[in-house]
Amino acid sequence: MTTTRGEIQLVELTKRFADVTAVDRIELEIPAGEFFSLLGPSGCGKTTTLRLIAGFEQPTEGQILLDGTDVAYTPPHRRSVNTVFQNYALFPHLNVFDNVAFGLRRAKRPKAEIKERVARALELVQLTGYERRKSSQLSGGQQQRVALARALILNPAVLLLDEPLGALDAKLRKALQLELKGLQQEVGITFLYVTHDQEEALTMSDRLAVMNAGRVEQVGAPQEVYEDPQTVFVADFLGASNLMDATATGAVDGACRVELDRFELRGSAGAADVTGAAKVVIRPERVELEPHGTPTGPNRLPGMVERVVYVGSAIQLIVRAATGDALQALVQNTGKGAPYEQGTPVQIHLPAEALRVLPAGEAESVEED
Amino acid sequence: MTAVAEARRGELSALYRVRGWLRNPWARPRFLVLVTWSYVLWSLVPVLIAVQFSFNATRSRTEWAGFSARWYWGDPVDSVWHDPTLRHAAIQSLKLAGADVLIATPIGVLLAIGLARWTGWGSRPSNFLMLFPLVTPEIVMGVSLLLIFTQVFTFIGTGTIAQILGHVTFSISYVVVIVRGRLFSIGRQYEEAAADLGASPTVALTRVLLPLLTPAIVASAAVVFAISIDDFVISQWLSSGGATDTVPIRIYSATRAAPLPSTNAIATVMMLFTLLSLVLAFLAWRVFTRGERRARAGQTKDLAVFEL
Repeated sequence: MTTTRGEIQLVELTKRFADVTAVDRIELEIPAGEFFSLLGPSGCGKTTTLRLIAGFEQPTEGQILLDGTDVAYTPPHRRSVNTVFQNYALFPHLNVFDNVAFGLRRAKRPKAEIKERVARALELVQLTGYERRKSSQLSGGQQQRVALARALILNPAVLLLDEPLGALDAKLRKALQLELKGLQQEVGITFLYVTHDQEEALTMSDRLAVMNAGRVEQVGAPQEVYEDPQTVFVADFLGASNLMDATATGAVDGACRVELDRFELRGSAGAADVTGAAKVVIRPERVELEPHGTPTGPNRLPGMVERVVYVGSAIQLIVRAATGDALQALVQNTGKGAPYEQGTPVQIHLPAEALRVLPAGEAESVEED
Repeated sequence: MTAVAEARRGELSALYRVRGWLRNPWARPRFLVLVTWSYVLWSLVPVLIAVQFSFNATRSRTEWAGFSARWYWGDPVDSVWHDPTLRHAAIQSLKLAGADVLIATPIGVLLAIGLARWTGWGSRPSNFLMLFPLVTPEIVMGVSLLLIFTQVFTFIGTGTIAQILGHVTFSISYVVVIVRGRLFSIGRQYEEAAADLGASPTVALTRVLLPLLTPAIVASAAVVFAISIDDFVISQWLSSGGATDTVPIRIYSATRAAPLPSTNAIATVMMLFTLLSLVLAFLAWRVFTRGERRARAGQTKDLAVFEL
């Protein structure tokens, strides 16, 4: 296997169904050997994008370049990509061995080779000894591994994974996340991973694309996308964010000046030259609370603790700022209880380096599922 | 408290107990059980009586005179075995049913796959049209088929071929409806998985789709057999006389003349064939869907665990 196999380029890729545009002129470049995730809420077009690459749907317009060749109109059985389906789609009438051997048999490989390669594939996913079982006799996690082995045995240039961990319980999901990542590094091929679970996407991917309404909102490494969201949607979808409506009045000393109600704040994370209707974004863990009455400074608002929520590793405080916005603040749980009681007046500090000003755009609310 | 008041309270509580018994939502559904069993008895008793008199020792179909197998094979003239018209009718019925199964099932399966997987212009009306033979009165269908075979396709005429064609015409719908239901319930994911693993559409059909459809195919074959062997109207319209009379036709004409318990006997034999085909279909369904049913049970168990 050469490392140059498995490069994907999507050019102006569009898929329109009768009345909806599921995928809207997507441009993506995924180098060979990368673990790349498509992240977005349900209905954002991520699964359709994957199905287009797999060949289950035909694009309305655009190109799908696989190692430089346009495969947009190649039928799925002639593409060197393989898929791990959301519900695995293991053939119920075949046992584990026959499921894994299915692809090799279609390729008319000799019997001895099939036997040997199936054994190796099952070893790779730690299912040696399960050859005779039917898929109904396997647990969810085991079925998932069979699906992986069945797809990987054909040495695809790209492995497509459609929410493969979605049906598993939280603990198993965590374990399999690490395993999948390890497996990808071991086999060294491109993994295109579709998920709506931001934590999954952040922990596993080399890079990821956040999708919304058929468009790619932002592409980058997990840290980049999380720390430096370019749109309101990305800021809102990735992790919890405080979003406040504001009016931006342009750059001052490298920071962007915004007016919230009668308060003036400066945000220096991200672009400074925003003007007009804007959203101010800050992560809950970056909001600082100070006792009421401490001397005021820049980027401070008076407020009151409205609710204290115990989350376990942290304590979440919902603070109503004088602007009328409810802000979330996350305080590390040090074992001493909440720093402020419900109803306590406080001073909210929104550090300029953590405060991001984004042009408002058409802000849709994020649908959780 | 006076004795009168106490007695009154006793009465009240008895009333409450009855009302409570009637209204108790956790109780077993007694009324439903009653209705169900009444219906089962109502529909089974006539059949059982008919079967009973097929074993009657005398020529009477109303007065029981003891058990005998004479109407099956004992009587040298009028038993099912020895009466050539009855035997011939049984063979004709089985011939029609067998040919119907062999012709209608494959056509119906292919039609079902086509209709379920084709989503283009005209697919909806065609899907709807498949229900037509199910709702068309059989007599209408019989008359039109007779007209077609005697006026248009005169080279067919009436007789066995026409009867087979008639049976196939209305049986296909049953196959389509059963197989299409299965196709919708298994979805497209297995075909997509097969294509993904390098199977051409034809290979996906033979290696994945047909094996998965087997229970539905077996079930529809059994249903086709049962309705064909049971059919009177179409067989009668397209019959060309004594040689092509089926069992239902023979029973019908025998009942109008001088009925003998041998009529009951042949009816019983036909009923056994029908029952056998349905039992076989049911067993096949159980065997072929064993894995899936276990998987489903497993899933619900997993869910229960998850909820705990």
